[in-house]
Amino acid sequence: MMTCSTSHRLKMRADKSLLRQKFLKKWVKLLQLYTSSEKLATVIERKKLIELSADVALASARGGTTRWSRALIASAFKDSHDKTPCCANGGERTLHESITRKITSKKVLQRIRGGASKEAQASSSNRIPASSIAKRLVKKRTKLLKKIVPGGESMDNVSLISETLDYIISLRAQIDVMRSLVYLSGHLDA
Amino acid sequence: MSSRRSRQSSSLGPSSRISDDQIADLLSKLRQLLPEIHDNRRSSKVSASKVLQETCNYIRSLHREVDDLSQRLTQLLTTIDADSPEAAIIRSLILQ
Repeated sequence: MMTCSTSHRLKMRADKSLLRQKFLKKWVKLLQLYTSSEKLATVIERKKLIELSADVALASARGGTTRWSRALIASAFKDSHDKTPCCANGGERTLHESITRKITSKKVLQRIRGGASKEAQASSSNRIPASSIAKRLVKKRTKLLKKIVPGGESMDNVSLISETLDYIISLRAQIDVMRSLVYLSGHLDA
Repeated sequence: MSSRRSRQSSSLGPSSRISDDQIADLLSKLRQLLPEIHDNRRSSKVSASKVLQETCNYIRSLHREVDDLSQRLTQLLTTIDADSPEAAIIRSLILQ
């Protein structure tokens, strides 16, 4: 019993570390594409590059096995002529053009921030059974979640939950790596 | 753009017979990932709407954190030069 959960935890930790490594590798590769680029003059553009490349790297670390990652990569290619989404290891040149175009355009790249409309809940009557209120809440929040998770709009409820699980794990890996990088860079110019 | 490719969901039955148990199981896994704000509410019954709400809030806070970290890393970008010591360190990180 104990050994079961311990080995499970160990495996999860190994998976986590593997994910972080994959993400870091791909991300640095993408960032290196821009070392000599003079196009990224402004701080805003540089930040957009970091965010966009981090997202693409994170998504491609999944190797196309999850829908959120495919949707994320697809949206990175949205403005490019070549509409075929592909993993970063295959299409770095195309990705490069697409990212450059996205970053130097006036449109700011928005993360899907779950911009749900604040629809008022019609709870005026006190005759509404609790179960239907609960159902409505679940429906409303499911809708919200669908907007937040990339590609969520086209998922059924069960896929939505499992995709969300994977998405959260990936986001945490991304944050871990970025935090380590911030720590590193802060301690290098000593 | 949003393809309707079906996932390899061999562990789940046909979509018309997805049981509440499976959803509850997924929801509880999700709940385990969320930061535990309400420790005293460890009821065995998972409130779906609560989990969904906490999930949305959590993902949004994760997004904000990535945004903040990206901001701070903007300085770093200028130094990712092939010959810089920073690049060497990053390289050694990856090539372990």
